[in-house]
Amino acid sequence: MRTAARVLWLVLVFVLVSCGASAPAAQDGTSGEKVTIRMWSHQNSAFNKVNQELIDQFMKENPNIEVKYETFPYDQFIQTLQTSMPAGTEADVIEMFGSWVCNYAEGGRLQEAPAEMMSYAEAEQIFYKAPLDGYYCDGKLYGMPNEFNLEYGGALVNPVLYEQAGIPFPPTYNDYNALITDAKKMTAADNGAMSVAGFHFSGGDALGFILMSGILEQGGNYFAEDGQHFNFNSPESLNVIRTLTRYAQEDKVIDPVLFGGDNGLPGAFFNGQVGIGYIGSWAAGVGKVDYPDVKFDYVTLPPMFGSEYKFVADAGWGKVVSVNTKHSAEAWKLQKYLTANRDNALKFNQITGTIPALKELVDNPNDILAVAPWIKPTFALLPYGMYLGNVTDRDQLFYEIIAKNLTDALTGSVTPEEAAAKINDEANAMVDAKLSK
Amino acid sequence: MAKPTVLQRSQRRFAYSIMTPIMIYMMIFSLIPMIWAVILGFFDYSPARVGGSWFGLGESNPFVGLKNYIAMFGDSQPANVFRKSVYNTFMFALIVLPLNLAITLPLAIIIERSHARIKGFFRAVYFLPTVTSAVAVALIWGAIYNPQAGLLSSLIRELGMIPPKAWLSDPRAYVMGIPLAMLALIVTHLWQDFGYNLVIFIAALQGIPQNLREAAMVDGANEQQLFWYVTLPLLQPTMLFVSVMTMLSSLQMFVLAQVMTDGGPREQTTTILMSVYQNAFRYQNMGWAAAMSLVLFGIIMVFTVVQFRLLRSDWEY
Repeated sequence: MRTAARVLWLVLVFVLVSCGASAPAAQDGTSGEKVTIRMWSHQNSAFNKVNQELIDQFMKENPNIEVKYETFPYDQFIQTLQTSMPAGTEADVIEMFGSWVCNYAEGGRLQEAPAEMMSYAEAEQIFYKAPLDGYYCDGKLYGMPNEFNLEYGGALVNPVLYEQAGIPFPPTYNDYNALITDAKKMTAADNGAMSVAGFHFSGGDALGFILMSGILEQGGNYFAEDGQHFNFNSPESLNVIRTLTRYAQEDKVIDPVLFGGDNGLPGAFFNGQVGIGYIGSWAAGVGKVDYPDVKFDYVTLPPMFGSEYKFVADAGWGKVVSVNTKHSAEAWKLQKYLTANRDNALKFNQITGTIPALKELVDNPNDILAVAPWIKPTFALLPYGMYLGNVTDRDQLFYEIIAKNLTDALTGSVTPEEAAAKINDEANAMVDAKLSK
Repeated sequence: MAKPTVLQRSQRRFAYSIMTPIMIYMMIFSLIPMIWAVILGFFDYSPARVGGSWFGLGESNPFVGLKNYIAMFGDSQPANVFRKSVYNTFMFALIVLPLNLAITLPLAIIIERSHARIKGFFRAVYFLPTVTSAVAVALIWGAIYNPQAGLLSSLIRELGMIPPKAWLSDPRAYVMGIPLAMLALIVTHLWQDFGYNLVIFIAALQGIPQNLREAAMVDGANEQQLFWYVTLPLLQPTMLFVSVMTMLSSLQMFVLAQVMTDGGPREQTTTILMSVYQNAFRYQNMGWAAAMSLVLFGIIMVFTVVQFRLLRSDWEY
């Protein structure tokens, strides 16, 4: 019995030691011998295709570096990052969304970009500030973006619904009154339930961006004076919420109960249930791939408030380097190759249909527009964007606080004043909870 | 104490050699994660932070004692969501259990008394949803509940009635004080789950000795009396098993809510397990999530012990 128990413990200890043992010491790449690095990204056919092509090209140009490219389904990717980082088994180079970067960087999980590779001042010269600042945390640069993620100032428009309503297509809007007038004409009901939403703006991302950008357009600020807490109880904020509530409750261009969740954008648009869909231009890229037979256009919208564009952006996908990498020089070489090299960045944006983060590609737009013409309307807006800043927890703020309370206002469950107060209270409670730790 | 014989030693060796792999498996994939979850519950731990040298605990992932548990009674947004998820989980489990028993037991009796040929057919038909992937079930029922083109709303319209505006997304739709979205999930869960209990009840009914029923019939018992005074008491151990298993699966409700409603509308279908998942993997608050999972563990334990006490049986046959 005792012998058996000892054997059991020995086996257990062996297994645990085997699991916990670190991998054999790798070559540091300085000896001239071939080194192997890994890169991780989420699964997206266009992203994976271009990344693999660029990696193959990189390996040809750098025969002493082998890059193993591994991809994961989106949800699994996040979980894998979170479980592998504490174990130190994550890849050397990681494709990360800009608004995640500072969270991981402040936690010590990412490596600061070496000064000889690129400084923030240099990066600022070649990248748009809005996407770049997602990678800039506490005065340190932790990577560079591949795309300028834009959820503001543009909309998908459905030519069939415009034609049915007798409205000229493609539309040009100078103000939201004209847009809402058209949207009302396209809105339709079937058996008493809204079957076509003339103007869809109630997505989890859209509501957050409209609220924050709307405050900026009116000259306000969603941050309180300390720069950490929020001010969503301002007259500007209340004006945004009242306006959106009016669109839903009085103009009835959307029923947020029926056009939310699984019936949100871009799916509902490409299923023919939406006339004008407020969403980033990336959705047009999705439409080209997933709904090749659906006719649509992507148009610029005017500022919702005032006459000047001012908006917040959520950085965009880019590449960072793990703090645990044993091949720092090679990892940063690959990182820079994929993001800052003009031709490679162009190839990435062409294949993925995303808006370039590199200014040069927008200044000379023929190459990118030849492949992704739908992003042209967004180019005029790009200089007016700013990074949304350190909002403590972006997903919690957007989905759990802003979207839920704003949807309550849109459905008439609460007044705009109550929604503004709740957003303000809950957002600041989130900040307080973090500060108290 | 007598020295074990060669045969006994050989038998023990065989037993241990068979048990060792599964014991190691259980330790690595069940016991150690459970201990780790208990430890994490006392830390403000996020996998995004490096923390101290011992498994990342300490420093930027500091020890906070009972703070996570005390925070559950606070006024923060995560605490409010957690309390709502506990309420939702209780509501779900306490509605599902009696409904499940009310459907499966009578149905099992009907099937058990039917002809042997059709008995197997019905048993298979009712059991099929149980072996279907929960995600597939959620997608199918999501389509059925679609407010515009779904089967259910279309059927109600065909009958000349007005269906609800939305089955899964209207925060103002209630039936007898229960959110409509929650009821929709309960119906889906019952549809998927009741085949399991049905098969167990049929097996238990077949195991009741015929002579006990015959003896009661000789004493003049009618069908109703046979059910209440013979069948039901003898089913008590099965009732206990079925109740405990149903309660366990209901308290751990996750997939259907995650796929069909994502916890909405307005957290009306957010369960404890969903809250744990969201905090651990979406918001990276693993310490808080671990504390919540321990509370769920405590709730399940209390329910199980109470059920064992209430449904304890002295019958044997």
